[in-house]
Parts: sequence; C-alpha cells; structure tokens
Amino acid sequence: MAKQQSSETFKLPLESANARQAHGGFRLEVFSRFEAETWVLVAVSIVTAYLVLPPLYSVIQTSLFTTKLTGELDEFTLSYYRDMFRELQVLGPFLNTIYFSVGSALLATLLGGLVAWVVTRTDSPLRGLGYFTAFASFGTPFILYTIGWLLILGKAGPVNTWLRGFFDHGGAAVNVYSMWGMVFVESLLWSPFVFLLLAASFRSMDPSLEEASAVCGARVWQTLRRISLRLMLPAFFSVLLLIFIRAFESFEIPALVGLPGDIRVLTTSILLDAQRMPPTYGRAGAFAVLLMLAVACTLYFYFRITREAARFHTITGKGYRPTLIQLGGWRYVTAGGLLLYSFVILILPFLIVLWASLLPFYIQPSLEALSKFTLKNYVTAIHFPKITDAIKNSVLLGLGSATAVMVLTTLASWILVRTKLRGRWLLDLLTTLPLLFPGIVMGLAIMRFYLLVPIPIYGTLWILLIAFVTRYIPYGIRYTHSGLLQLHRELEEAAYASGASWLNAMRRITMPLLTPSFLGGWVFIFLLSAKELSMSILLVSPQTPVVSVAIYELWENGQVGELAAFGVIWTAILVSIAVAYYLFARRYGIQQH
Amino acid sequence: MKSPERQKILIEGAKKEGKVTFYTGLIVDQVVRPLKEGFEKEYPFVQVDFFRGNSENIARRVLTEYQAKRYDVDVVSGSAATSMVQRAGFMQRFYSPHLAEYPAELKDAKGFWGSTNVYFMTLGYDTRSVKPNELPKTYEDLLQPRWRGQMMWSTSRGSGAPQFIGNILLTMGQEAGKAYLQKLKGQNIAKSTASARQILDLVIAGEYPLAVQIFNHHAYISKAAGAPVEWQPLEPVTATINTIGLAKNSPRPHAAMLFLDFLLSKKGQKIVQLSNYLPSHPEMPALQADLKPGGGRFKKANYINPDVLYDQGNDWVDYFQNQFLK
Repeated sequence: MAKQQSSETFKLPLESANARQAHGGFRLEVFSRFEAETWVLVAVSIVTAYLVLPPLYSVIQTSLFTTKLTGELDEFTLSYYRDMFRELQVLGPFLNTIYFSVGSALLATLLGGLVAWVVTRTDSPLRGLGYFTAFASFGTPFILYTIGWLLILGKAGPVNTWLRGFFDHGGAAVNVYSMWGMVFVESLLWSPFVFLLLAASFRSMDPSLEEASAVCGARVWQTLRRISLRLMLPAFFSVLLLIFIRAFESFEIPALVGLPGDIRVLTTSILLDAQRMPPTYGRAGAFAVLLMLAVACTLYFYFRITREAARFHTITGKGYRPTLIQLGGWRYVTAGGLLLYSFVILILPFLIVLWASLLPFYIQPSLEALSKFTLKNYVTAIHFPKITDAIKNSVLLGLGSATAVMVLTTLASWILVRTKLRGRWLLDLLTTLPLLFPGIVMGLAIMRFYLLVPIPIYGTLWILLIAFVTRYIPYGIRYTHSGLLQLHRELEEAAYASGASWLNAMRRITMPLLTPSFLGGWVFIFLLSAKELSMSILLVSPQTPVVSVAIYELWENGQVGELAAFGVIWTAILVSIAVAYYLFARRYGIQQH
Repeated sequence: MKSPERQKILIEGAKKEGKVTFYTGLIVDQVVRPLKEGFEKEYPFVQVDFFRGNSENIARRVLTEYQAKRYDVDVVSGSAATSMVQRAGFMQRFYSPHLAEYPAELKDAKGFWGSTNVYFMTLGYDTRSVKPNELPKTYEDLLQPRWRGQMMWSTSRGSGAPQFIGNILLTMGQEAGKAYLQKLKGQNIAKSTASARQILDLVIAGEYPLAVQIFNHHAYISKAAGAPVEWQPLEPVTATINTIGLAKNSPRPHAAMLFLDFLLSKKGQKIVQLSNYLPSHPEMPALQADLKPGGGRFKKANYINPDVLYDQGNDWVDYFQNQFLK
C-alpha cells in the first residue's frame, strides 16, 4: 500500500495540473480512503475479537464439559444440551418465556416509541420531560425499582388498598405476582432504552417524504404507518430484537415477580442450579449457545433485508430539518400523556423508594407514618465503608465504558453500513454475541483469562472496564447502526470530493449528524454500567469497590430503608451526570452542524 | 508448642509479613471493620485486607486464583465456602489454643475450620395480622389451613427453603421428614429469590403474615426500631455456622495464624458480640441473650455441619426444585 501511494505521489508532479485534477488527485483520494477503510476494519475487528472471543470460547466450553471442583475441565458431555431440550419439551415454561419476551418487547416498544414520537416530532408541551424521565427511571438501581413496584402493586400496597376501598372488594384486586406483572415491570424497565434509540431515529427523519405523503392526501396515521414507521424499520428491529433477547434470557424479573406466583420460565431452573455446590453453569452455557444460534440466523436475515441501505436513508444532501407536527388541540392530550408516562414510570416508583428511605422500617403510605420520618438511613448510607471510592470508581467506569463502547461501535457500524467488504455481517454477529453471554460465565472467563495471560490488570479497575466494554458493545452497535443507516452516503462522498480526508469527513460530517444516536447510546450505557452486578461481584478487589456491589450487599443484608437511602443518593448522582453530559454534548453537537 | 513461645514466633514472622488477606462473607460495615480495627490495635504491625462476597463467590475466587497459581488469600471465612475450598484441596489444617474452648459441633474434627459466629433461622411474623393464640409453635403447626398461601420463603441454599428441608430431613429422619414435607407442599408457600432479610421486610410491609427461615437477629433489629414484627423459634432451630480456616498456600502464615487466634479468642468474640452478631464462643452470650439457645426462648438447635451442608445440600436443592416448584 505504502509503495503504491508513494509511486502515485511521485508521479503527480510530472503530470499536468489538469490531468492531476481529473485523474491523479482523485485516485489519491480513493487510495487514502481505501486505506482508512482497511485500517478501521482491521483495528475494529482486532479489538472486538480480542474482547469477545475469549468469553465466547469459554461459554461454549462451559456448555460442553463438566468441571472438577477446582474449576478444571473434566469430561466432554452433551448432557447440558439434553437437559435444555428436555426443558423445552415441557411446554409451560417455554410458552411462559415466549409470552414474557414478546409481551415485554411489544409493550416497551409501544410505550417508548409513542413517547419518542411525541417528544421529537410534535410541538407538544413538556417535551423535555421525556428525556428526564428516561434518564432518571433508568438511573434507579434495578433491585429498588422492582421492589418499588412490588410495594406499590403488592397485596398490602396503596393500589390494592385504594381499589379495595373503591370497589369494596374482599381480596387483592391486582395480583402483581403474575405474568402481566412481569411484563409490566420488564417493559417499564426497558422503555427508556426504546425511547432513547427511537428518539434519535425520529429526530433524523426526512420530512420531505412525509410531506410528499401528506400532499398526496394521506392522513397523519397513514403517513405514520406507511412512511415514517417503514423508514424506521432498522431502529424498530433493533429495539425489538434486543428487548426480546434480554427478556428471554433474564433471571431477575421472572425470579422476583414471577416465582412467588409460581410462574416458571426457561431460566428458572438455570437460576436454581446456581444454588448447587459446586455451582454448575453448564446449562446456562448450553442455553446461551442455543440462543446464539437463533440470533445468528436472525441477524443474517436482518442483514440481508437492510443490505439495501438506501431504502432507509433519511438524511440526504437535500436538506435536513425535521419539522414538528402541529398538534393543535391534541397538544393537551399529548402533554397529559407525557405527564402520565412520567408519573407511572418514574415518579411513582421513585416516590415509594424515597418514602421507604425516610422511615426506620417500611410502613405503607399513610399520614400517621409521617411522624416517624428520620434521616437515619441516609446517615448509614453515607457511612457505608469505602463509599466515596465506590462512587468514584463506578462513575469512572461508567464514563470510560460508555465512551469506549460508543467509539468502537461507531467505527464498527460505519464498516457495516458503508463498506462492501464481504462477511461483514460476521462483525455484526460478533458485536451482538456478548448480549447472550451469561454474566457469571463471562465474569469467570475474563477473570481466568487475565489470571493466565501476562497482562497485570487482575484486581484493578481495568479488568472491570474491559468486562463492561465487552458487555455493552451490543447496545452501542444497535444505536449507531440504526443511526448510520439513516445517513446517506452522498454526504460523505461530497466531503471526499471536496478533498476531505477520511478522518475529516468522519469528524466534520458523520459524527455531528450521528450525534443523537451517539448521545442516546452513551447515556444508556453510562447508566447501564452503573448497575452491572454479575461480573462486578467476581472482578472487584478490596482496592476497587463499586456501587452496584455495595447495593447488592445492602439488598442481601440491609433493611429496605437503608437500601432505599443508598439508592436515592446514587440515582441523584447518576442522573445529574447524565443530564449534564447530555446538555453539554447536545449543544456542542448542534454547533457542529 | 507452648503458648508464649508460639506467640513469639508468630509475632516475629508477622512483623516481616506486614499484612493478612481475609476473604469473608461477613458484613463489612457491621462486623469486619470492627474486627479489623480490634486486630490492628492489638498488632499494629499487621494490616488486614479483606474481600467480601457470598460463600459461592468466595469459593469461586479462591479456586480460580489457585488454579492460576495466584496465592493471595490467607484466611477464608464463610458458611460453605471453606468446605468447598477444602474439598478442592486448597485449605490446610491449623491449630489454635482457643479451639479447645469450643464444643465439638463448632469446630472441625479434622482441624480444617473453627467458627466465629452462628446464625439461627426461625419464623418471622407480622404482629398486626398474626394473633398470639394462632402463632405456630411447632413444625406441625405450619400445616394448619390458616397458613395456606400465607407464608413466604427464599430459594437460597444457605438461608431459605433448601436449608429448611435439610433441617427437617436431618432431625426427623428421611421417611418422617419427607412425609412432613409432602404435607407442607400443600400449603403453597410463596418462593422468592429475594434474600431472607428482604423477605422479612415484605412481611413488615404487610405482604405476607409469615416468613419461614429468616435470621432471628434481623427480626430483633427491626423490632427494636419499632417495626410490627417478631420472631418465633420452631425447635429444633436450624443453626448455621460461620467458619474460618487457613488457605493452603497462605503467603503470610504467621500473620494469618495471629488473625485466626484473635478471631477465636475471647477478645475477638467480644467484638463479634458488640457488633450485635451471635458469637460462637460458648461463654460469650449474645448482647440480646435470648437470640441464642439457652437464652430463654429456645433450647434445641441443630448446628448444620458445613461438610454435611456441602455433601447433602444438593439433594435438598433438588428436593425443593422437584417437589415445591410447579
């Protein structure tokens, strides 16, 4: 490559200025761009492979071998797969899993999508509330959010008390320990993710297509259905796929909400396997491998559909100014809807957590309980050992992993969308796989890897950073991939034609236009990494405490009020950072336009 | 070896070693920190470094580190962790002069572990909805129709349903125990992956009147804060032992032995007591004396030996999964 280029440079002065412009100059640009493409591909592939392959290897190994007590591999076995297939034959858990995952994916997409549309495409009042709600509800520690809902919707909770008084009903009117309870809590948990991703896509919508539709006499909903939603197919696919997978393999909500109501899903037996000594992760590994195969097929077909990337371009050279839809009288309806959304998804669970944090023990909301208010739980929380270190570490890890993941996945998406390199869907697959690794297996894999290879990061923050980056690549790729699909190639072409280098085109054209997706993804990963537990619990050392592990300790041994006080403080810190970053970066991004 | 001589050798060695690394399941805020402070006050030349995790994570960590030949840990503590690490061959026998003061059920016959503190698992109940005359006093009482659908327990091996099942099978015998458990199954106890502490909090919130297999000192702490909750022993009460032991390739054996001695001594046990934990030492009562057997509220406790827990625990987990899970 270098040789070719130098010969090109060497030839240049010999040719006439005219010829250089028409011929040589153009070829030089082609070469440097091609070179950049190759370098980016090589670098991104190496980094991704380095991060993803060791745990992948470990997951497959776990599913195929029994282990000795020491953790050494023992014998080859297919019994974990047999167990898994046997489990699949019992229809109940399998159907429950399908209901749960499909229900959560649809409800979360509907909720998050509607709010994203109102916030980004209409002139509805209170639009800023959408972003704040997404940040703050996602910043609440997961366990607290769920417990909050159990307390609100539980038998003795305010909702049932109120309904009982209203209908003079004997027993509990609402049973949260049920399938709908699981779907409800899971979709509320994921709707901020949908909101952030779809808001970025809606924001980048090409209004001319919608206008054309309107001119042809289509009604608003027709335009929405036949133009807007179709253009957003990649974004919708991304959120549905991700939430479906996450719900399919999730333990937490099915265990905390479903299990008390005797609802069993596929992961239930895997979860209970962890109670065995020595714990076996074989079935978890087999489950993950089967899911990976299913996801690989899905991605392959998805890739074939979106190969015709031009169909989804909304940002072209023609001008880009998404217009806001004038709602007229409907403004009040949408504003009311936003308030309701914010109330349900954020204020209600947060209030109950705040309420619990101010009481010496949990009392259902009532006036007489006010007299018991105390700040004792906050004092306990502030004096938690190494708490300032833990907060500092968690914030650093959040900033580091969000930034690293978004940079890496922006480059990876660029390769996927812009280049014609064969087999690039494999890169897409590689960046999606970590989603399917069971957290504990991945944590163990990373721990073993860095105990064996001579890279001295065991027991430091770096090993946590590597684990987090690997874990969150799949989220980053979905944000940047659907964002980039909307950008027409011609914008970059124009930059190259004007003599910009690859780096310049990326910096001045692509990145600023990608800002909404990049920011959405960044904030999401920042908030998500603050909650990571299953790997952290194995990888932290006495010198590197993190907040999620501290919260887990309180969850195991602390009273609910102490847990709540800790959660309130932590949510406040996280949300302040997320909002500050978002406001700062958006401003910066807009100035770049 | 005679005590003064032994002590001298340990101190000299520990001075060179300078620190001791402690992997423990005990709660840092409540008891690890006071123990560390107490020990460092006694031996200012040794610093205690600790890693806290649950039994499973401690065992995993030691095993993974040892497999990679990384020998960081000196003292291991937990309920089942020491057994698991010992079975893998990564613990060593140790002697402490204080061990002689402990009863047989609170130390290992082979010398692999001693004990710092004990836990007692009882019922916890909502005093607003459970009347004194209907309060269950025996295991049989749990079978009354009154409690159908009114109880909750955790799925945790160490502090939940499997442990309850184990206690029944060990104390009633396999046949009578299983007959009892079959009847209990009909009572439809709600299960949750939440910890025993959180299940007690759900009882305080009024979600369920009865929590089965919770830590009695948790109920005591909440009651002292004014919560409408109380604990009730069902005899024989399930008792869990928090064990301590010495890692096989402990890189700082002198400091480790000093630390083990300290934890088992009355001085260390006093700190455990003052932290509101239940000391293992027979002459060291709990601050709230009735939390321990012989304190007035219950007499019979079944101390589940960690080796038994390790060997039979999986059967209890399986029994729970096969019988109690729908």
